[in-house]
Amino acid sequence: MKIDRDEARRIAGLAHLEFEDAALDRLADEMTKILSYIDQLREVDTTGFEEAAGAIPTPMRADEPRPSLDRDAVAANAPSWDDGGFFIVPKVIE
Amino acid sequence: MTDILDLPLRDARVQVSPREYVDACLAAIRARDKAVCAFLTIADDPAEGTIPIALKDNIVTTDMPTTCASRILPKFRSPFDATVAARLRARGGSIVGKTNLDEFAMGSSTEHSAVGPTRNPWDTTRVPGGSSGGSAAAVAARMVPAALGSETGGSVRQPAALCGVVGVKPTYGRVSRWGLVAFASGLDQIGIVTKTVRESAEILGIIAGHDPYDSTSSTEPVDDYFADLEAGVRGLRFGIVREAVEKLEGEVRENFDAAVAVLKQIGAIVEEVSIPTLSYAIAIYYIVANAEASANLSRFDGIRYGHRSSRAKKLDDVYFESRGEGFGAEVKRRIMLGTFALSSGYYDAYYGRAQRVRAKMRHDFEQAFQRFDFLITPTTPESAFEIGAKTGDPLSMYLNDIFTAPANLIGIPAIAVPSGFDRRDLPLSLQIMAPHFGERAMFRAAAAFERETNYWKRRPPIK
Repeated sequence: MKIDRDEARRIAGLAHLEFEDAALDRLADEMTKILSYIDQLREVDTTGFEEAAGAIPTPMRADEPRPSLDRDAVAANAPSWDDGGFFIVPKVIE
Repeated sequence: MTDILDLPLRDARVQVSPREYVDACLAAIRARDKAVCAFLTIADDPAEGTIPIALKDNIVTTDMPTTCASRILPKFRSPFDATVAARLRARGGSIVGKTNLDEFAMGSSTEHSAVGPTRNPWDTTRVPGGSSGGSAAAVAARMVPAALGSETGGSVRQPAALCGVVGVKPTYGRVSRWGLVAFASGLDQIGIVTKTVRESAEILGIIAGHDPYDSTSSTEPVDDYFADLEAGVRGLRFGIVREAVEKLEGEVRENFDAAVAVLKQIGAIVEEVSIPTLSYAIAIYYIVANAEASANLSRFDGIRYGHRSSRAKKLDDVYFESRGEGFGAEVKRRIMLGTFALSSGYYDAYYGRAQRVRAKMRHDFEQAFQRFDFLITPTTPESAFEIGAKTGDPLSMYLNDIFTAPANLIGIPAIAVPSGFDRRDLPLSLQIMAPHFGERAMFRAAAAFERETNYWKRRPPIK
């Protein structure tokens, strides 16, 4: 599988990552190399094997209210916070 | 005078008070960490404790920052303690600091830390392994008797091997991950680094068990991990994974053969067994782990916590620019690979196929465990490499985890035990894998090997 600059740019868009063009070219090369190694999985006959689900069952818990995180402690980590209890982001709707 | 930190936990705590024990660690960190760079944060005024311990800096505590060695978390302070931290504190644990790692635990050398590399205490021009390199180096250099790390593909066992200490990866679900910053949720497990097997058994007894805050933590009862430590291995069956050793040459092979001879000499039955899918472990791992990572790391968006780009004008810019500035090259590479593997048109060819080969590998291991109590390999294919030797070649770095990644893919417990030194005086290590929830037997086997060899007593040349 060959990854070129355009394909790398498409994936970067899906991943919400900003790259300069030179970095994209380098990344495309590295991904091509790594994917060609991963392509050895094609030689394995997996007839009779399904995608592995978790080996261990997940216990369920009762759906009961419990305390949430302390709001001040959460606010202290926010890059931009309104004391009314909101994260501030750039305007989304014009 | 004996350095108190040369002693295992139970010997040290009869000689010094809990206050003196913690203070000895702080003094050792001040004296030795300039050369090793294992710590990212040292606790201001840690409580006294019978178990001074360091945590990898992707495990959150309220009293110190958690950085994941990333620029995207420059000053994150958790509103809660990780369950492992709370359990340790309740049982005599004193958290003396947070240790260096490859950014977000992605790496095998601790060179992908935004802060800079940790150095191997046996040779400071070499890597300590990774991603829990800070935890392994801190224990090896006798700065703390114990440390926690995290494992996704060998990130505790591999650095433990390269630093000459014991590294434990418990069964998937054995230890709560509440408060461990998620990398690949289907593989991640908190692990333990100590000098000796008994100390790891003690720590696991404290941190293991179901936690209502982590629904993937198992309700399986916690075993008595001390019970069989002295029981020996006479008559127990060890399977040498043929595909791991058949192409190995040189000192790692010689050392492994010597370890096998020790096991036979103390009464173990050792035979070869085939795991035909073993050689695909890294290919499977880098699809499955990165796919999960690409989803988990989407939480770092510059909105709720972490770095927000000062250039960002629009909401999309906040995501792209904050992540572009905050994540390092290796983390971006893995998010890209994972995003690709899950993207429309490629999902079945990559993620789906990797999961099917993983299912086949699980079947191979189940077959092998029908004949054997344990499976053994060298922990790593080589001893510690030089800083910078593999950073230009991601694939050769990844291949360092070839023997450790299967246990994560299968979910079984595994332990790395020191097995000697190569001609450069760099540590080598034996890996013992056990079936799901077989930690008690795994500690028994590792303790028997350790009792016979005692490599843990040798300390690295850090003053």
